[in-house]
Amino acid sequence: MTTSVVMRTTARVIVPIILVVAISLFVEGHNLPGGGFIGGVLTTTAFAVIYLAFGLDFLERGVLGRDVDSGKEPSRDRVVVAYRRVFEYGLAIAVLSGLVPLLFGLPFLSQTYVIFEHVPVYGHLEIASALAFDFGVYCVVVGGLLTILSVVGAE
Amino acid sequence: MPPELSVVLAAVGLPFAAAVCTPVLYRLLGERTGYAGVAVALASFLLLATQYGTEGAVALEWIPSLDVALQFYVDGWGLLFAMLACGIGTLIFLYSPAYMHGESHLPRFYAALLAFMGSIIGVALAADLIAIFLFWELTSLASFVLIGHYTADDSSQYAARMAMFITVGGGLFLLVGLLLLSVVAGDVVGPDAAFNLAAMLENADAMAEGLREQGLFLPVLGLLAIGAGTKSAQVPLHFWLPNAMAAPTPVSAFLHSATMVKVGVYFVGRMRPILVGEEWLFLFATLGLTTMTVCAIMAVAATDIKELLAYSTASHLGLMVAGFGFTSVYGAETGVFHLLNHALFKATLFLVAGIVAHEAGTRNIHSLGGLRRDLPITALITVVVALSMAGIPPFNGFYSKELLFEAAVEASHYHDIGALGWLYPAVAVFGSIFTVLYSLRFLALFFGDRPEELGHVHRPSTTLLVSPAVLAILAAVVSIRPQLAVDVIVQSGVDATALETHEMHAGLPTSYSTPVGMSAVTIALGLAAYPFYDRIHRGIRTVLRTTPPVAANWWYDAVIGNLTGAGAWVGDRIHNGLLRTYATWTLLGTCGLALVGFAAAGAIAPTELVGVDAPPAVALVLLVAVVAGLAVVLSTSHIAGILTLSILGFMVAIFYILASAPDLALTQLVVETLILLIFLLVVEEIPEYYEVELGKYARDAVVSLAVGATAFVTVLVTTDARPEGRTEIARFYTENAVPEGGGTNIVNVILVDFRGFDTMGELVVVAMAAISILTLIVMRSGGGDE
Repeated sequence: MTTSVVMRTTARVIVPIILVVAISLFVEGHNLPGGGFIGGVLTTTAFAVIYLAFGLDFLERGVLGRDVDSGKEPSRDRVVVAYRRVFEYGLAIAVLSGLVPLLFGLPFLSQTYVIFEHVPVYGHLEIASALAFDFGVYCVVVGGLLTILSVVGAE
Repeated sequence: MPPELSVVLAAVGLPFAAAVCTPVLYRLLGERTGYAGVAVALASFLLLATQYGTEGAVALEWIPSLDVALQFYVDGWGLLFAMLACGIGTLIFLYSPAYMHGESHLPRFYAALLAFMGSIIGVALAADLIAIFLFWELTSLASFVLIGHYTADDSSQYAARMAMFITVGGGLFLLVGLLLLSVVAGDVVGPDAAFNLAAMLENADAMAEGLREQGLFLPVLGLLAIGAGTKSAQVPLHFWLPNAMAAPTPVSAFLHSATMVKVGVYFVGRMRPILVGEEWLFLFATLGLTTMTVCAIMAVAATDIKELLAYSTASHLGLMVAGFGFTSVYGAETGVFHLLNHALFKATLFLVAGIVAHEAGTRNIHSLGGLRRDLPITALITVVVALSMAGIPPFNGFYSKELLFEAAVEASHYHDIGALGWLYPAVAVFGSIFTVLYSLRFLALFFGDRPEELGHVHRPSTTLLVSPAVLAILAAVVSIRPQLAVDVIVQSGVDATALETHEMHAGLPTSYSTPVGMSAVTIALGLAAYPFYDRIHRGIRTVLRTTPPVAANWWYDAVIGNLTGAGAWVGDRIHNGLLRTYATWTLLGTCGLALVGFAAAGAIAPTELVGVDAPPAVALVLLVAVVAGLAVVLSTSHIAGILTLSILGFMVAIFYILASAPDLALTQLVVETLILLIFLLVVEEIPEYYEVELGKYARDAVVSLAVGATAFVTVLVTTDARPEGRTEIARFYTENAVPEGGGTNIVNVILVDFRGFDTMGELVVVAMAAISILTLIVMRSGGGDE
């Protein structure tokens, strides 16, 4: 696929912005609109923009500096393997975060939170255990969607 | 005295456990596995014998919190049937090793036979409607395996499929009937006992009243009759039973004579106290007598000894059903006593047929005769049981047939049934004449001249003779002392199936009565007609040959043949490999089901459209969305279509913002963007616009209109049902989000804190989608490389 210089330049600028927005949406999801699912989909969008502008092999060749065998099966691609790991680990994180409460005699998937006052930069900081679960959600969405996208795209 | 749970459980479970162990047993014992079966069947029999005289329900708690228990109900009727199954089973297992000597697939044969016996004991003793249905269908499955034992043989496959199709199909009717019954039982007996047959039988009158009040009496009666009728081979679905003779003879003896086909009769007897009444009489007496007569005539037309016996079985099943159909106590006596008598003589006859086929090498009636010189003991056995089948006094079949005549005569005294009052006895006599005829014909295999072409006939081995001999001795005992059998087991069975208690008596008549006269006429006419047997035989065959629709097989073949053709036709239309065809059918199917569902639930009421009171902002957004929707349809290139579709999506997102659902709006925006990008990625691969026929346009228009209308109606109907104001659950989430979850975004708190398990499930779905796409692609490229 040939893409114009305008497209590539735009992608260079907006992809970091999208990623930062995605991460902020994920982090503050507990208190403001956002969360693991939305953050995950937005992150996938950033990757999709990269694919659209630079092609499917760009990540492997341009970013990681590795050669790509063109004859390889798409599912064996290292990037795809990485994506697969992301959603596998994400599922593991979600399940494990649900199992942890069992150690304290609480039901599966119980969540709690702590509030720290007078934290330097933040001042008032709240850490919810649900963040770990949400991170699992994020990973599964990113990994799953990117796996589908890159495998189907490579076809 | 209540029964012992562990004993009942062991008796039901032992055959199944043994069935599981059969491959191991076969490796250890080889062809002697049959004797292990003897041990199992005998053990079950003895276990049940210890429960003799007990009555009541026992339950094995399974999931106590959900009131799920495996319930058994033991009484005289259940015990009679279950013990018959294990008792005859013992003898069948004893007979099998010698008969099945040198056959292949013996482990499967014995495993299926054991499971078959276990499920029949299960049907007899289960008190839970669901358990009854499960055991019921298990008998069908096991019989399918057994009838289709000779897997390479086409007729065996055909018979097995037919038996499966008819009996399992009938079982589904039974299931619906049982569910309707449980609905009524839930109201009448109590929600705990909705599936408890024992409780229903205790409140039989209340159940009948409840069924009538809710208008379910006739549906339940009809559905249960279809279930029992298919299982017990009643006309017009009797044809699977003669075809089932493709099974090995021990199976035929077990299946035709003692057990599976009697499951239907057993169930009719079981439900008798609840459903008995005038409709019951009309239905079952007519059905039973028709079956009895039609199948007796068919038996006379048979040329194969097993076929003769199989039609005779169907005929006798009709006799039992007719017996239960008559509402007087004689009816119950007929059903119960004949169930026992028939098992004794018919199992023996099948085993004799097996010996004849095994030793003489043919089953053709015309090429057999004069066998008494070659098989003297077999001939002696046959004399007892064939005369019993014919109903000649003093053999045991006579007593129960006498009871049928009595019940048929009595029928008009209990209900006002008009002409049927004399028609029933007349038909009973008419059918019985044919019974006498074919019984004598079977007996004639052993007498008269020996045909020239019949080669040397071996003497059967002792193991082949033991089982029929034991059964014939039992039949002889019942013949000489019928009152003994009545006292031992029949009386308690009658008590369970009859409405009133009645001291039953059986014995040779000492003075003239109408039934005695009917018996005399039957036997006299049968004997008088016997010299013309060949002529009658040929006559019936000619009728069958010239008018194929008379034979039910013809109907089955026609229906199944058409089904295959129609199935292929429908498959070509629906499953043609084109994505758009699948989409069309799926969408139309979903729309149809949804609309029918709404209509059935009465949800589609002519809702008055209150004046549109949308605020200007919302109206504007929706207007843009509508315009974008039109633009999608009218766009001439893919890119324009995708972009205008995105406008529609973004308008929906703005609509969410205006409706104060920021999370939803954000999701919609992000997903919309992603989909737009994916579309742009793949758009180059899509072919340019091509010419489409007008018909396709019309079809697409219909589909899209249907989908749109369904979505519209769904939104109208579902939002209409929304409760006023905030519901309790909404209040709970708003009040507890901050203190419990520590988050002010309620949506996210619900997702990760309150309903985390749902989210987890969705994660699994996403992961599975990714894995399945990966697998699909890998499989495809793997296939493409080769």
